[in-house]
Amino acid sequence: MIDWILIVELAINGIFIGMMYSLISLGLVLIYKTSGIVNLAQGAIAMTAGYVAWALATLMAVPVLVIAPIAMALMFGFGLLIERMALRRMIGHPVLMTIMLTLGLEIFLRGLLPGVFGAAVKRLDLGIPQAPLFIGDILLNRATLTGGVIAMVLILLSIWFFGSRQGVVMRAVADDQTASWSVGIRVERAIAVAWGMAAMAATAAGMLWGATQGVDWSLSLLLIKGLAIAILGGLDSIRGVLIAGVIVGIAESLATGLIDPLVGGGTRDVVASVIILVTLLVKPHGLFGEAHIERV
Amino acid sequence: MSLLTLNNIEVAYDRVFLAVKGVSIEVPQGGLVTLLGANGAGKSTVLKSISGLLAPERGEVTRGEILFDGHSLLALDPPQRVRMGLVHVLEGRRVFGHLTPQENLLAATTMHRNRGEVSALIDQIFQLFPRLAERANASAGYLSGGEQQMLAIGRALMTKPRLLMLDEPSLGLAPFLVDEIFDIIRRINETSGVAVLLVEQNATAALEIAHSGYLIENGRILMSGDAASLRSNPDVVEAYLGGHQRVDYHAVKHYRRRKRWLS
Repeated sequence: MIDWILIVELAINGIFIGMMYSLISLGLVLIYKTSGIVNLAQGAIAMTAGYVAWALATLMAVPVLVIAPIAMALMFGFGLLIERMALRRMIGHPVLMTIMLTLGLEIFLRGLLPGVFGAAVKRLDLGIPQAPLFIGDILLNRATLTGGVIAMVLILLSIWFFGSRQGVVMRAVADDQTASWSVGIRVERAIAVAWGMAAMAATAAGMLWGATQGVDWSLSLLLIKGLAIAILGGLDSIRGVLIAGVIVGIAESLATGLIDPLVGGGTRDVVASVIILVTLLVKPHGLFGEAHIERV
Repeated sequence: MSLLTLNNIEVAYDRVFLAVKGVSIEVPQGGLVTLLGANGAGKSTVLKSISGLLAPERGEVTRGEILFDGHSLLALDPPQRVRMGLVHVLEGRRVFGHLTPQENLLAATTMHRNRGEVSALIDQIFQLFPRLAERANASAGYLSGGEQQMLAIGRALMTKPRLLMLDEPSLGLAPFLVDEIFDIIRRINETSGVAVLLVEQNATAALEIAHSGYLIENGRILMSGDAASLRSNPDVVEAYLGGHQRVDYHAVKHYRRRKRWLS
């Protein structure tokens, strides 16, 4: 017999977990939408943010609401720095080289930060109560609930942002850099802002996940889930992130809850990979991705 | 004083290939000047040296001077040049295909702080090109060639230029559309006093609206003068306007680069 309450519970928790994953995808999409490259360092940037938040919390002993904005500001600067030091030099080189550069950055950060701060798992406390929340018979995890809501707010903010003038300018840069220059758009600045914003989204991800699973190098593995959501949603669609986040979250949660007991565990990480594979084979542009426009 | 002065500029690509070999051009305040020449003559390169878009193609101005309004442009990047009041409509239109026409126009307003001014400008452009207003919410990539050209010109006008540079606006358009586009260019020049530098292969259409013109070949200026004298020059007629008489190859003249000792 199927336990419906269990399925509903898994699905609802999955939605919020998916939202938390999609913070990583949000950063991927922000960068892809403006500069047309996939930033494979997004997971490591989230991990860096986790360490930064942990360091701030240990150093200053102030509430989370103070730490979060400071961490965000620092990471925004970190994003600008990456763009300025590494990415700007790659202008005029093949896209593939730039993507390789971001992959190198991911590996570098993964090694550097645990090296500096020590490899042991750090505890990051955001002050979210541990006690589960019951709605009727359904048990919800407060940490994922809070994280999911914060993620959803950030994603909606981004959708709003891309309708504003600065957002339109960033989409224009993604469309045609030379044409953007020709009408006075400061292309480098637009791309730098995208990196800064992506790093802020990663900060939210790093702190929320750091609070649920502890801060260590494994935070950077969020990249895979983020990629799965971004690819399923279509790499250049923020609306896609929102919906694909829900889908991936539910799929993963159901797989863990229903298939794991049958096969002995480990399906959680397979789900993301399967979604990436199937999307690329069946619908390479994702659910909401823009196809290249060709007028006949 | 002229609005734009190019003084004997040389442009090299990849530090090797010399595409423009000493070109001098003047565009007066409110003038409509055309730069004519065949494929590969160096017309587009001249425009890019003015707008600063050579760098992404690894080109460089290696000699000479470009003055806009008395200020040298060479040290400025493209967005700074746009802020000085010149704008370049690229060859092949290059509209932002995934954006709507309205968003295309909005994207070109980063230099204007005032929101009211921006929306007034957008209204103005839509009045100038009513066809764009009709399709304001479609993706620009799906507009017709003529509409895209109008959008590219409108987008350039959003920057409030004093000099509008157009690179082959007639490219790939039906003849009646070419007339329409050129008529619009003339109207922009006459009514708002924007100076125009028009690069064209379609010499007939260009010389009809231009006040004066330059003929460029192989990176050098062959000939210059007011539009009427260029139109009546037998060699221009033969080479660019589709002359009717048979050519007498004994009488073919070879033009040499005109020496400019002064200025």
